[in-house]
Formats: sequence, structure tokens, C-alpha cells
Amino acid sequence: MNKAFMGLVKKEFIQVFRDKLMVWIIFALPIIQLLLLGYVANLEVKDISLDVYDFDQTQLSRDFVRSTEAGKYFTPTTPEHSVLDLDLSFREGSREMALVIPEDFSEKLTTNEPVTVGLIADGTDANSASLGSGYMAQIARKFSQDIYGLERPLKVRNRVLYNPEAESVHYMIPAIVATLLTIVTVLLTSMAIVREKETGTLEQILVTPISKGTFLAGKVIPFAVLGMIELTLALAFGVLWFKVPFVGSALLLLGLSALYLLTTLGIGLFFSTVTSTQQQAMFFAWFFLIFALLTSGFFTPIANMPQWTQYITYLNPMRYFMEITRGIMMKGAGFVDLLPQTISLIIIGVVVFGFSSIRFSKRTG
Amino acid sequence: MNNHAVEINDLSCHFGSFKAVDRISLTVEQGEIFGFLGANGAGKTTAIRMLCGLLIPSGGGGQVAGFDILKQSEEIKKNIGYMSQKFSLYPDLTGRENLNFYGAAYGLDKKQILARTEELSNRLQLAEFIDRPTLSLPVGWRQRLALAASLLHKPKILFLDEPTGGVDPVFRRKFWQILYQLAEEGVTIFVTTHYMDEAAYCQRISVMHRGQIILRGKPYDLIEQHRAANLEELFIDLIRGRENADA
Ligand SMILES: Nc1ncnc2c1ncn2[C@@H]1O[C@H](COP(=O)(O)OP(=O)(O)OP(=O)(O)O)[C@@H](O)[C@H]1O
Ligand SMILES: [Mg+2]
Repeated sequence: MNKAFMGLVKKEFIQVFRDKLMVWIIFALPIIQLLLLGYVANLEVKDISLDVYDFDQTQLSRDFVRSTEAGKYFTPTTPEHSVLDLDLSFREGSREMALVIPEDFSEKLTTNEPVTVGLIADGTDANSASLGSGYMAQIARKFSQDIYGLERPLKVRNRVLYNPEAESVHYMIPAIVATLLTIVTVLLTSMAIVREKETGTLEQILVTPISKGTFLAGKVIPFAVLGMIELTLALAFGVLWFKVPFVGSALLLLGLSALYLLTTLGIGLFFSTVTSTQQQAMFFAWFFLIFALLTSGFFTPIANMPQWTQYITYLNPMRYFMEITRGIMMKGAGFVDLLPQTISLIIIGVVVFGFSSIRFSKRTG
Repeated sequence: MNNHAVEINDLSCHFGSFKAVDRISLTVEQGEIFGFLGANGAGKTTAIRMLCGLLIPSGGGGQVAGFDILKQSEEIKKNIGYMSQKFSLYPDLTGRENLNFYGAAYGLDKKQILARTEELSNRLQLAEFIDRPTLSLPVGWRQRLALAASLLHKPKILFLDEPTGGVDPVFRRKFWQILYQLAEEGVTIFVTTHYMDEAAYCQRISVMHRGQIILRGKPYDLIEQHRAANLEELFIDLIRGRENADA
């Protein structure tokens, strides 16, 4: 291992952990935010009444219905209305969701063909609607895996009635985790080099034979590690404490998060190389963060934005990361589903690191 | 190749239309203590930063430790130590942590750093404060730590930019004793200072004024030539004379 790199990494860690306030900002604040948010809304919903329309009526379809009772999230019920009027039970307030199993359910499953069940929710309670679809996706995945050892041949298609745009707080948790991660990493790296410019230590480093690549890597990698730790903590908190359903692969999420971090760290680094005071860097960082948040799809769904704004969102790495976290956690999206986002992040990452590297020179003049 | 530690010709540095360093030429021999004097803003720091490979010259060129200033700045960096005018250790780290870091930056391994720290700690008497955060240390102690940091990799040439600014006379004397020892061991020392008693310790000095070198030689020869009472008087007369002429 490159000695200069290791020395730099070690130094960064010592500095971060020596500053008690910094440790708070990096680790405690995000968890406190999540906690607050979690207690504002009740995030666990049990005993969702579920009308079951089973058009298959086989042993397999009945097994599937029974599996929905596991964990006591759902209570399957017999419908009072025909499938065409299933919304009547919603309006009467006697049911919260309905499950529709197609007649070729067992036939397709036994021949390994993909099959989709329908889940219709009453959107007036956005929280249970989104929680319920998350639970159902988990149940369906477990069902097909337990019985066939197959990866997702059974899919759930969701439909929310009455309030399809409604996003529950629950749906917000992956987004909040993404936001916190972005803020912390952009702010930290934007300070990373400019602080050393201000204190004069940068000059002392530049007069050593350390290479530019080693220096930039040594400045960024510690924050990537901190970011990953923070992400894991926040996710674990969300899943274990608030029972946020986590449908997809945690490993995939961590991998893509690492990729995403390279873009935010690269952007922070760029700010740090073009500015000469911490104040300037802070300004750039906040400006970027506000832009990134507004065009990430966090507050306004991207599809509802004016056309020109939609084009701008393609430049925002956070947009892709929102899709990635929500996709993996809520819908169980796989690597192939997220390939466009992955490629976009790689392109943005290469560009921002390229710019920082061009901008940063060991000699000025 | 030649044997001068430093040799520069017509070296210049312009910031826009302002000539911070204007075609200076000089040579420094190996093992020499060379004093680089001049009033505030004369261009001393700017010149040193070019010699150390931190600033690209606008014109002229030269060699440091046998390497070309323009093309081989990274080679130069392996062979020189530099103490900048601004204190440049990490205030939140202890002296030892600072030395560990700078040692690693020079590519030394743990064992080498440990051995060098031990050696420099004895030599510069750092033991008393090496494990305290540098933020809380008095200036004189900090400067000894900074000197230690610049000596870790055993440089052939040491560039010291006002190393004793704000340091009390006892410490200054100690500091210069250390510099003398280093010079005896063959280290070339290129030092700027505003203290004329320190200038008198140098084997040769040069005086800069508005980016140009206006005087150079051995301190006592210069005093004699200009019939001055001492270096201080010589320096003041010279700079005043120039300023009156410019006005
Ligand atoms: N990056 C820069 N851009 C513009 N002007 C600069 C820059 N660096 C230095 N200068 C100017 O160049 C001149 C010489 O500065 P320099 O720091 O080299 O002087 P000095 O001899 O070291 O002075 P001092 O004794 O105060 O340290 C000053 O007028 C300074 O303002
Ligand atoms: Mg100076």
C-alpha cells in the first residue's frame, strides 16, 4: 500500500474523530433526524384487512393466501362485492386492500413462468397503502423463493385508488436516508482541501513529493468510508427500528451507494479545489444541495415537473440515487432494472473527478 | 550539471502586470547558510516558492539540488525541506502525529519515521511537548516542530521562510545553533529573516527590493564597503535611498 496514502487517510480519521462536534454531526444528527421522523408517523401497520379474489383456486394459490398472514401484517377476508366493484368495500370502509390472483397462477408458477398478482389499495390512508405494498412484495418474494428457490418469478402489481400520488412518510425514509448521506458527504469534502488552504498546511503537503492522485484519493476515501458507515447505520435503523420493508438486495444497495458516494464526493472535492476559503466552499455546497434536493424527485415527482426542469434532473446524481434506494427497498429492483441509473452515476462520477483533477495542480502560476 | 546547491538566472514571477520577482539571479553553494533579506513585500516568499516547486516562474530558470526548476519540480521536492512563513502544522494534531503524517507524505515507512522522530526529538529537544496538540504551544516550540517536520526526510537543502518570526531571543539563539550544526553536516540553508543580528550569522546575504536583488555579498565585506556602522544601518539606508529615488 502506498505509504503517503495511508498516512493521509490516518490523519483524516484522527482529525474527524478528535473533533467531537464533527462526530456528532456525522453520526448522531442523521439518526436523530430519522428518529424524529419515524415517531412523527406510526410506521408499522398491522392487520390490514385484505379482500382476496382467488381466480385460480388451487392448493398453490391457497398456500400463497395463507402466507400473507405471516407476520400478522394482513388479515385475508372474503370479498362482499364482485371484483368489478371491489372499490365499494373501500368506500364502505370495511376493507383496506384487495389481492387479485389470476387463474393461471399455479400453472405458470409450476412451469417457472413469471406471474403477476394484483394488489389494490385504498390511497386515502397513504401510509398503510405504501406499507402494505411493501409487505406484499416481501411476502411474494419469500413465497417464490421458499417454494421454488427462484428469484422473483412472482411479481406484485400495485394500484392505489383515490390518492395515487400520495407518498407516505414511510415511502420517504429511503429518500431521507439518501438526502442525509448527500448533505454530509458534499459538505465534508467541500471543506476537505480548502480548509488546508486556509490553515497553510496544503502548501506544506504540496512541497512533498506526494502525487496528485494519491493526495486526492487520500482526501476522499476517508469520507467515502464514513459515508458508507453512516448509510448502513441509517438503513439498519430504518429497517430494524421502524420496520421499513426492505424488499431488494442490501448488497446491491450498498454497492450502488458506494458508486453514488463517488459522485457526491467528487462534487464536494471540485468545490474544494476551485475555492480559496471555507466560506466560499460552503456557499457552493449549499447551492448545489438545494438544487439537488429540488430536482431529485423528493418533493415533487419528476413526471410532474415542467419539461425543461425534467431535462435538468438528468444532471442530478441524487435523482438516480432516489430511484435506486426506493427501487431496491420498496420494489426489490435488481441490478438490471437499475442499469440506466448505474451508468448515469458512473458518467457523472468520472466527469466530476476529471474536473477536480484538472483543476487541482501541485503548482500554481 | 554543476555543484551549486541553488543556481538561478533571471528568475521572474509576475502577477498580472505586477512584477513580484523581477529577473533575479543568484547561486548558493553546498553547505552554505545564505541569508535572503528584504523589506515586507520585496518578493522573498514568492522567490522561495518558485525554488521549491510551488509556483511556476513567469520567466528565467535555474536549478535546485541539480534539478531543473521548470521541469523537475517533483525531483526537487524529494531533496529539499521547506518551512513556510505561515505556521503549517495541523493545530488539532499533536507534534508526533504531525511528524508521522509528514513522514508518510515523504514516503518514509513506520520504522524510519520512528527513528527519525527519536533522533530529531533529541536534537531539537522536542520531548517535553511532542505529544501535545500544536495549537496550544508557544511559537518557539511550534517552530522547532515545524523544523523537525521539514528535516524528516534528510533534505540536502533547507528553505526557511522567516523561521524565527515572533520568537524570543533565547529561542532564536538556540534555533541558529541548530542551523549551524546542520550546515556543518553539509545541509545548505536558504533563510529569510528580518533580524539583522541573524543576517550577520549568514555566510552570504542578498537584499531584495521590489522584486530585484539590489545588494549581495558577505555581511562584513558589505559593512566595510558601504562604511556602515552595522548591517541594520546599511539595510535601512539602502532601502530608504531606493525609495527616495523611486519617489
Ligand atoms: N498570489 C499572488 N497574487 C498577487 N500578488 C501576490 C501574490 N503573492 C504575492 N503577491 C504580492 O507579491 C509581493 C511580494 O510578496 P512576498 O510575499 O513574496 O513578499 P515577502 O518579501 O515575502 O514579504 P514579507 O517580508 O512580508 O514576507 C507582494 O506585494 C504581494 O502582495
Ligand atoms: Mg514572505
